[in-house]
Amino acid sequence: MNELRAARSLTTLPVVTLGGDVVAEVKDTVFDTAAARVTGFTLSGRGLLSGSLKQSLPWTAVHSLGHDAVMIVDVGDLADTPVAVARRAAQQGRVLHARVLTEEGAEVGTVLDVVVEGGTSGRVVGFRIAAGRALARGSGRRRHRVYVPRGETLVVSGRTLVIPGDAIHYVADDLPAFAARVGAFHDGHEGQEGTRP
Amino acid sequence: MMLFSQARGLPVRTLTDAEEIGVLKALTVDAPAGVVTHVRVRRRHSRKESVLAWGALQAIGPDTVLVRSAAVPSEVPPHHELPGVRILTETGDGLGTVQDVVFEPETGRIEAIRTAHGDLPADRLLGLGDYALVVRAG
Repeated sequence: MNELRAARSLTTLPVVTLGGDVVAEVKDTVFDTAAARVTGFTLSGRGLLSGSLKQSLPWTAVHSLGHDAVMIVDVGDLADTPVAVARRAAQQGRVLHARVLTEEGAEVGTVLDVVVEGGTSGRVVGFRIAAGRALARGSGRRRHRVYVPRGETLVVSGRTLVIPGDAIHYVADDLPAFAARVGAFHDGHEGQEGTRP
Repeated sequence: MMLFSQARGLPVRTLTDAEEIGVLKALTVDAPAGVVTHVRVRRRHSRKESVLAWGALQAIGPDTVLVRSAAVPSEVPPHHELPGVRILTETGDGLGTVQDVVFEPETGRIEAIRTAHGDLPADRLLGLGDYALVVRAG
């Protein structure tokens, strides 16, 4: 599996062509309405004083999302998007601060960040959440932040996400541990489907 | 077999009168093709940099560079300094920076890129721009 990245950590990642030229940096990551995939990035210019770019980067033009750069084939792959359109898309694809519930109706917490898979898939694999009471273990004084897998049966309605009930058994405290849990979570689900009559 | 670091600083002389016109400052490469295309010479008197096409060179020896013609080529590609530039794989992962470059002084063919993590063969080079040298993931 490719490296997992928190979407917020992608901001300021350089966008580099295969020819080795830097053309922009990532401003925001945009998701589809089901929070299943990255649909693209809004961009800003390089450096402190350069603001938002009119162009955006659709995911279809991404060659690979890596640890140190978003690679594209050619600068011509950037799409001309009026800033307002990009902003609306970013709003629709916004899952930050959405409530997370399990299928059983337990409130798990609110979304702090979205975990995406690096490479070419653009898949959303989970969320970093501020854990609610259902998940917070031990002393409740410290606000608990955990990673939960997305699951395939996720339902999105308005500002609420519903995840499979057993997803909360695969929570992790940090990204490396989460990568292992996500693998186990998917294996577990495939196993269940196999034993269904 | 020669290193960019060994070629840099060599005196550049014309073949006709062995006059020293300057010292070799840098080598310009065509990364996808894996060859040196131009050399940049700092002139002895004016201290200005000028560009010579690889084809104008007679030889890059261990002690001196001999040129057949000091004429400036008609078309000069942008120069991106290879030593010191960061390396990215085409998947977007960093591989450190270029420490040195191994090349064939007879043909200008690049053999390998020397990095802190070992040598990268020249056939992995995809592009060299203002930000990075991009290489095929190994």
